[in-house]
Amino acid sequence: MTQPNVSQPAQPASQRSTQQPAPAAKSSRLAIPDLISIGIFTALYFVCVCVATLVSTLVAGAGTIFLPAVAALICGPVFMLSVARVGKFGGITVMGVVIGLFLFVSGHFALSFVASVVFPLAGDLIARIGNYRNRVTILIGYVVFCYGLTGPILPLWFMKDAYVASLEARGKSAAYINDLFSQISVGSFFVAMVAILVCGLIGGWFGQRILKKHFVKAGIA
Amino acid sequence: MTDVPVGRSGPRAGLRLDPRAKLYLLLLANLLLFFHVDTRGEAIMVALFLLPLFAAGRWRNGLRLAVLYFALLGLGLWSDAVTLDGAGGGSGGSLISMMDGGANVGDGTAAAWATVGHVAGLLSVGIRMMMPCLITGAYAFTTTSISEFVCAMRRMRVPEMIVIPCMVVIRFFPTIAHDYRQIRNAMALRGIAAGRFALVRHPVQSLEFIIVPLLMNATFVSRDLSVAALTKGLGIAGEHTCMTVIRMRWFDWATMAVCTAPMALAIGGVL
Amino acid sequence: MSEPSSTMSPRSGETSGTIPSRAASSPSAPIITISDTSFQYTHDDTGVGAANPTVADFASGNATSPADLALSHVNLVIRPGETVMLCGQSGCGKTTVTRLVNGLIPNFFHGPLTGTQFVCGLGGDGANGAENVPIESLVPLVGSVFQNPKTQYFNADTTSELAFPCENIGMPSADIRARVAEVARRFGIEHLLDRSVFTLSGGEKQRLAVAAATMLHPQVIVMDEPTSNLDATAMRDLHNMVAELKRDGVTVVIAEHRLAWCADLIDRYVRFDGGAVAGEYTAAEFGKLLAEQLEAWGLRAIDLAPYRAALQAKTGVAGIVPDGGEMAERTPVGHPLPAHDLNDGLPSEQGTSQPLAIAKTETSSDMPAASSVGPVIDSAGRHPSVASVLADPSEPQTECQSFVIGNVPIIATHDLTVGYRRAFRRDIADITLYGSEIVGLMGRNGAGKSTLVRTLCGLQRPLAGRILLHDAPARPTALTRAGFLVMQDVNYQLFADSVREELLLGLGDADDVIRQPVDVPIAPLNAAQSSSSGAASHGMSVRDGNTDVQPSATPYLHPATLGEQADRVLESLDLLPFAERHPMSLSGGQKQRLAIVSAIMCGKELIVLDEPTSGLDRAHMMQVGALLRGLADRGKAVLVVTHDEELAALWCDRIIDLDREVGA
Repeated sequence: MTQPNVSQPAQPASQRSTQQPAPAAKSSRLAIPDLISIGIFTALYFVCVCVATLVSTLVAGAGTIFLPAVAALICGPVFMLSVARVGKFGGITVMGVVIGLFLFVSGHFALSFVASVVFPLAGDLIARIGNYRNRVTILIGYVVFCYGLTGPILPLWFMKDAYVASLEARGKSAAYINDLFSQISVGSFFVAMVAILVCGLIGGWFGQRILKKHFVKAGIA
Repeated sequence: MTDVPVGRSGPRAGLRLDPRAKLYLLLLANLLLFFHVDTRGEAIMVALFLLPLFAAGRWRNGLRLAVLYFALLGLGLWSDAVTLDGAGGGSGGSLISMMDGGANVGDGTAAAWATVGHVAGLLSVGIRMMMPCLITGAYAFTTTSISEFVCAMRRMRVPEMIVIPCMVVIRFFPTIAHDYRQIRNAMALRGIAAGRFALVRHPVQSLEFIIVPLLMNATFVSRDLSVAALTKGLGIAGEHTCMTVIRMRWFDWATMAVCTAPMALAIGGVL
Repeated sequence: MSEPSSTMSPRSGETSGTIPSRAASSPSAPIITISDTSFQYTHDDTGVGAANPTVADFASGNATSPADLALSHVNLVIRPGETVMLCGQSGCGKTTVTRLVNGLIPNFFHGPLTGTQFVCGLGGDGANGAENVPIESLVPLVGSVFQNPKTQYFNADTTSELAFPCENIGMPSADIRARVAEVARRFGIEHLLDRSVFTLSGGEKQRLAVAAATMLHPQVIVMDEPTSNLDATAMRDLHNMVAELKRDGVTVVIAEHRLAWCADLIDRYVRFDGGAVAGEYTAAEFGKLLAEQLEAWGLRAIDLAPYRAALQAKTGVAGIVPDGGEMAERTPVGHPLPAHDLNDGLPSEQGTSQPLAIAKTETSSDMPAASSVGPVIDSAGRHPSVASVLADPSEPQTECQSFVIGNVPIIATHDLTVGYRRAFRRDIADITLYGSEIVGLMGRNGAGKSTLVRTLCGLQRPLAGRILLHDAPARPTALTRAGFLVMQDVNYQLFADSVREELLLGLGDADDVIRQPVDVPIAPLNAAQSSSSGAASHGMSVRDGNTDVQPSATPYLHPATLGEQADRVLESLDLLPFAERHPMSLSGGQKQRLAIVSAIMCGKELIVLDEPTSGLDRAHMMQVGALLRGLADRGKAVLVVTHDEELAALWCDRIIDLDREVGA
């Protein structure tokens, strides 16, 4: 609409007149085909997240806190291919925003929207350092991107707060309550965060391996 | 010719709110999560949020959610009773260690019951907290057609950069399901990762076999969709209109007001 | 055809102001001018110039040899109101021309472009760097219909899809609604409105695609192989839509190699070959061309009558039943011979009650049918490109079949009912599939073909009835082990990162010593080899593990390892040079062959192919046919689901027509 960056007509003209092969003259802005690619990879990513939700809840009822970690483990190939195919600033961010939007509309906590904007944006910036070509920066970008999914698990801590509040309301001593939750808050939080880091690295490495093994070889990425 | 019913691909029965009103309800539900409201306020809000679901004719859905909420409420009350009884019993250990082995502590059944009570209480309170979000989310998801959703985004001046991927995501979901079934069939025919537990036994390999064809097909589809979209003018600069008309009507405003008032009171601690 | 554009006044009143008036272009001035244009696809990172994924681009020039020009010095003039067909083999450049017309070249498909192109008064000189036409300005002028009905939708519901172009040019809501209703009424697709696109059949999707392309009342409609996935009914619907467009004076450009479906509407044919215009013909001139001439150009037949006649003859014939003793019981009951439908040229199928006569008719049906329908069919057997590829479906082979086949059918069904619990249910007349036989499964869309083959392959449970595998009742898992389905979209079936790995997948390492040789890959199959009873034992060796091959066959040593075995099978299907390539970098036809090879490696006995020739030109269709014959000669039972009347008539031994059995 009012965004000039989505209107494509301006840039191909220069491309054609010089008759350069496309990549050289390619605009750094997201064009319609890029947005469509992003949409498709986002859909796949979203499906992976749903699978991760399923897996993490199946493994243990309280395993929901490992949702981002499980997602990080399996979403690597999707992310890596989308970076390879789009390779422009904004791609990763848009992916995060759209995921956040869908999470929010489907009744997830609003903070998950914030998280899935901030972390992907940071990941996008990191991947841009290597111009979306450098494997290391993309991998780090992926790990950061994965923290975008911490949104859906944040309510777990809210739940704890709510329960603590309800216990307090019934006159339990603060010491008792603290005792009860000392481990659940600090311990599980760190475990969950470290798990994302580790799983993100493994998943990202796996994604890059798949990318090289299949998509680069087939001439698609 | 204008009486041809167009743009109502969603469920047609009943009264439905404007997508923007639904969004407002979602935000309200989230606020409720932020501020801890006591059980009474929560119950009132849940009842209010359930109303539009019934108004839209989603009886079964609404009833199911209502039953779930009351079951949780009951669980919570039971948990209150149990944990009050065993007030002193559980002290000394954290919840985690109690979960690990409430029984091996050997304090007897009281402690075990207290543990169960705490877990139940946590579950009840936790899931009950999520219920407003779940209800409004279910309402928004099941009663909004895609064209309404897109139209609402455009009316709210969401950049095309976001709108287009959203449209594609919705368009592509059924394709993923179809692709997945095809791939599983192909794997069965080839005897790759066949059998019920193969996915569990060889998770990495299975993931590769499933995700690579999915991604391959995705790149092909993205090419074809780009072609289709470009030839139909998705890249045209200037405002894109919507065939579907969305309007804020009196009952949209009314619903928003009715839901806001008790919420404000509850947060303010008046209620 | 060259009707002055003013005759379509009924609609022009409703045309919105944003759309350039059609009256602006004078009726005599060309609406599309392409002069001295050359183009070459670049393999850029959008992946669009790279190996084309669709089967249609089967071995096309731009997929395999990037150095080739997609178009070289093409001159083409199209006048308003003309209906022009661009024809030629795959990769001849006809699709590239449609992309020039709708602006996808150079806006989406990049590459060096020279020459001048004017479409509807817009255009420029590609070579001199003049202002090029952005695709956006062509949107209201040119409507496009593409090949694949599944992927040319941007919206998930039909009404939104129709409204989509109007929304994009910013029409007000009420106007869009009026336009949608008008177009739906015009093409009689009101019943398709407000539905999920995913519930439509292929034909309905394609009708919707044409309707969506006309939403902005364009002056030109280009169609890129619109019929490649359609059945006869859907093609008739499409034909009527094109007729409607033609009546309204819209210029229609169709790139196709199926010529028959709209032959009466075409004003002019332009034949492409190797990226250049090889000839232009008026409809009258083209009609006079001999069938052999079309064949030699790789075009499909313009007159399908002889093929239909041959099909009739093959339909409903019982399986080849080798020995008389058991036949009476085994003759499928649900196959009444529709004698009234049969072609006069055939021996009038005397004695349908005597199975032996049926068998006889079947084995010899190739010849009488061929002679009765003239040179078209007859030439099939000795089609040059066919004979060299694999096998020769000529008489000696057909005759030997009756000896080769064992008594026991590979698959037989009894009172089968297929379907899904509620959505769909269909009774299937009993079917028997023998080895060494190509059976065509035909019927309109929705007749239950794919449900049936999925059931035969054990991918879904039958609702009722039994399926016998080698005369013993078989569970779905056993059927899945014995059968293989080559899907229409083979991309789902290839998993490995190289062609050789693809074959070894799930079997073991390349160095593994082979335990049970898969059937003998006879490199270039020839009649002498398969006419011996050796072929039968080849078929058996799959099950017996019998490595002892008849001395009469070519001297043949079993490969010691799986890897060697894989190479042999690859070699027999001309895939060995690509052994290290990634399967997805192959052309559509090579992928199809690879999927078949993987089935051979798994030792499958029943091979089902789903629409193997959709979107293929004649030469490639014949290649597929020869490949099927090669499979049958290895003792496989081959079942082909197809709408392709030419393929079925030329290569299938027998046809099962599900439409015809509806009454039974």
